[in-house]
Amino acid sequence: MTPDNPTSEKHYLRLRHNVQHRLSLVPILGWLLGALLAVILEQLAGDYLVDALDMDKMPSLLGILAIAKDIKYFLWQGWDQLVIIGKMFAGGAFSGVVSVPDPFQTPRVLLYVFLVYFLPIALFGTLTIRPANWMADKLSKLPSAVSVIGYLILLYLVMHIWADMSAYRGMALRFTLIAVMLTLSLNVINGYMGEFSCSHPGFMALGAYGASVVTVVLFANDKLFGAALLPKFLAPAFFPLALVVGGAVASFGALLIAVPSFRTRGDYLAIISLAFLFIVKSLIENLEIVGGPRGLKGQPDLASLPVVFTWAVLCIWTINNFVRSTLGKALNAVRDDEVAANAMTVNTRRTKMTAFLFGAFWAGVAGGLFAHVLRYVNPATFGLQKLAEVLAMVYFGGLNSVYGSIVGAVSISLLSEALRPFELFKWVIIPLLLILVMIYRPTGLIAFREFDVRSVLKPKQNPESEV
Amino acid sequence: MRKALYVVLACVVLSLILSPCAWGRAKAIKIGINAPLTGDIPKVGEGTRYAAEMWKADIDAAGGLKVGKKKYPVELYIEDNESKAESAVRANTKLITDDEVLVIVGPQSSKQAVPAGEVANNWKTPMISPWSTNPDTTKDRPYVFRGCFLDPFQGPVLANFITEEFGFKKAAVLYDVASDYPKGLAEFFKEAWEKLHGRGSVVAFESFTTKDVDFSSQLNKIRNSGAQVLFTPQYYNEVALIVQQANSKGIKMPIVGSDSWGSAETVELCGEDCYGLFFSTHYAAAGAKGATKAFIDRYEKKYGYIPDDVGALTWDALRLVQSAIESCGKLTGRIEKDRKCVRNALAKIKKFDGITGNMTFTEEGDPIKCAVIVRISEKGEYEFFKSVCP
Repeated sequence: MTPDNPTSEKHYLRLRHNVQHRLSLVPILGWLLGALLAVILEQLAGDYLVDALDMDKMPSLLGILAIAKDIKYFLWQGWDQLVIIGKMFAGGAFSGVVSVPDPFQTPRVLLYVFLVYFLPIALFGTLTIRPANWMADKLSKLPSAVSVIGYLILLYLVMHIWADMSAYRGMALRFTLIAVMLTLSLNVINGYMGEFSCSHPGFMALGAYGASVVTVVLFANDKLFGAALLPKFLAPAFFPLALVVGGAVASFGALLIAVPSFRTRGDYLAIISLAFLFIVKSLIENLEIVGGPRGLKGQPDLASLPVVFTWAVLCIWTINNFVRSTLGKALNAVRDDEVAANAMTVNTRRTKMTAFLFGAFWAGVAGGLFAHVLRYVNPATFGLQKLAEVLAMVYFGGLNSVYGSIVGAVSISLLSEALRPFELFKWVIIPLLLILVMIYRPTGLIAFREFDVRSVLKPKQNPESEV
Repeated sequence: MRKALYVVLACVVLSLILSPCAWGRAKAIKIGINAPLTGDIPKVGEGTRYAAEMWKADIDAAGGLKVGKKKYPVELYIEDNESKAESAVRANTKLITDDEVLVIVGPQSSKQAVPAGEVANNWKTPMISPWSTNPDTTKDRPYVFRGCFLDPFQGPVLANFITEEFGFKKAAVLYDVASDYPKGLAEFFKEAWEKLHGRGSVVAFESFTTKDVDFSSQLNKIRNSGAQVLFTPQYYNEVALIVQQANSKGIKMPIVGSDSWGSAETVELCGEDCYGLFFSTHYAAAGAKGATKAFIDRYEKKYGYIPDDVGALTWDALRLVQSAIESCGKLTGRIEKDRKCVRNALAKIKKFDGITGNMTFTEEGDPIKCAVIVRISEKGEYEFFKSVCP
C-alpha cells in the first residue's frame, strides 16, 4: 500500500473485517453442507478439471503430497546447483541449470484445490448464512441425539464421497480415524490422569491379536486355526463382538499392570508400563499358536470406512462423556493433588484404576480395527516406534483435551503421509515441529479445553437478527 | 497482502501458460518401488533404490522400453515404507490406486511383503518382491511373485552341503526367536538335518532375542553338546558378535550361515574371525563373470561399494519386469488389462538369465533357481564355492 492512497488502505481493512465477520457467522452446518457440495462437485467434475488443467491425476490429500514432491524437487535441485557452483569456484566447468520437474504440478494443484474445495465451501458457507443458521437453530431445538446423528450422517457422507474417489484416500482416512481413537485413549491416561504410561502399543497389540484371533478362528480358513467355523456372511455381525473381546483383553492386561504399579507413583509407572510393553511383545513372539514373529494374517476384510467411522464416533463420544462426568473431574483432582483429592472423599485408587482400564479398552478396540484394516499383524509393529508416534500425537495436540487429541492425531497422520516424498527428512521435520510446539505451547496445541458438542453445533447468529 | 495475492495469481497464470502441453508427452510406463528407505534397515532401501536408478538409466539410454513397435519412457515411483508393515500397505495402496503403476517391485522384508502382497493381489496388480523368503508372501496370490529362493529350499541346501563337505553328524543351531526370518530358517534346517541324520542329531537348538549382544550361555551349551558344526542364520551385526564370542571361547567347530550374511558389513564388523567360513546366498560377488561382473563393476563405480544381494536381486526383479512387459506385445493404455497381461507374462517366464542365476517361474509365483555356497576368503571376499540347484 502506498501512503498517498489512504482510501484504498481503509477499503482493504474494512473488507477484511467484513470477511472475518461474515465467516464467524457461518455455523458448522453451513461448513458441512459446503464440504458436501465440494466433494460432490469433485466427484462429478473432478476428472474434467484434471483434464482441463492438464494434470496427471486428482490430487489426493488436498494436494499437499504433490506440492511436497515439487518442493523436494527444487530443494534437491538447489542442492545440486550449490554443488555445481561450488565446483565452479573450485575451478570446474559450469554445467547444468535448474530445471522444472516435468510435469510441474504445484500451480495446477493449487488451482484445483482452490476451485474444488476452497471456493465452493467459502461461497456456500458465506452465501447461506441465514438459511444455514435457521436450520441449525431448528436442529438445535430437536432432541440432541437426533440432531447429532443428523450431523454425523452429514459428516460421514462428506468423508465417504471424498474417500470414494481413490482407495488411497480411504486407507489414509481409516488409519487417521484409528489414530484419533488411540490418541484419545492415551490422553485419558497421560492427560486427564496425569500419569506417564508407556504401555499403549502393548494394549493395542493385545486388542489387535484378541480381535484377530476371534475373527480368524470363526471366519477364515487358516493354517494355524484350521477351517472357518461359521459362514462368512455372519462376519460383520460378529465383528463388534471381536472388537469388544480385543478391548477386554487389553483391559485385562491393564489390570495386571495396574495392580502392582499403582502402588508406586510418577516415574515408576512409566518404567513398569514400558516393561509391560516389552513383555507383551515377547509374549506374542513366543506364542506359536498366533504365528510368533511371523505374524498372523488372514483377517477378513471387515474394517470398512463406515465401521471404522462408527467406532471412532463411539470412542469420542464415550471418552468425552467420561472425562466430563463426575468420575472425570475426580480424575483431574487426583492428577492435581492425590492427597487433597483423597481428603475430599475421592476414592483415588478406584478412580485411577477405572480410567486406566477404560483407556486400555479403547486402545484395544483401536488395535482390533488396525489389524483388520491391515489384515495382518506382527509383534514388531507394536514396539517403541509406535509408542513414540502415539505419544507425539498426544503431546502435539494437547493434554487433557478431546479437541487436542483429534487435532494432534489428524495433523500428525496427515503430515507423515504428506511428507512422504521427503523420506529421511520427514523424520527431521516432524520432530522439529514437535519441539517448536513444546517450546511455544508446552501443553500442546489445544490443551485443557472442553469439547461441548452442543456449543459447537449451535447457530452462530440469531435467525431473527439482521445480517 | 493484496500485492502478494496478485503476484501469486500472476505466477499461477504464467506457469499454467508455460507448462508443457498434454499431447507433447508420451504415456509413460510407471513402475512402483516399495522400499525401506528409512527405519531399521536403510541399507537395504539404499541398495534397492540404487539398483532401480541404474536400471532406469539403462532404459533412458535406450530411449525407452520397447513394447511391440512403440517405445515408452519409464517413470519410477519410489515410496518409502519405513520398514513398517502398515506403511508398506499404505505405500502399495498409494502406488496402485493413486499413481496407477503397472508393476510394483518390493517390499524387501517379509514382514512388509506379506501384508503388501495382499493389497497388490486384491487390486490385481503384479508385484515382485526381490528378497522376501517367507512362503506366505506368494501363497494363494496369483499376482505376487518373488525373485529369490525360499527358506524351505535353503534349509535342505545347507544341511546337504554340510553333510557332503564335512561329513558331520551332529549340528547345533543358534537363532533369534523374535525375528521371523532366522526362526523360520532355523526350523527348516533342523527338519532337513534330522531327516538326514535321524532324530536328535541337532544336539543344541539355542535361541536369543533381537538386540541381545551376549551369547555366552548359549555358546557354552553348544560347546558342551558335542556338536560338530554351528548353524546361525543371523543378520550381519549379530553374526560378527556370535563368531567373535565363539572364537574367544575356543569353539573350534565351523560356523555356517545363510543369505542374511551376504551384506558387505559382515566382514567389516567380523574381521578375521569370519575368514574361511561358509554361507549360502543368492550370488557371489568375488570371481563373478559376465553380466554379473558387469553389474557389480558398474554399481561399485557409481556408488562406491560392492552391491550386496538385495541390489542384485532388485536388478533381476526389474529385468524380469522389463522382459514381462516386452513380451506383453502391446500396451492398451487400460491399466487393468495391461496389469493382467504383465502378470501372465511373468508367470510364463522360463530360463530367465539373471545375474543371480537362471530363473524359471512356477504358477505360484516362486522361481526355481540355484543357491550359491560362498566361502569368505582370507582377503575377506565372498568367493564362489559351489552352486546347489533344486
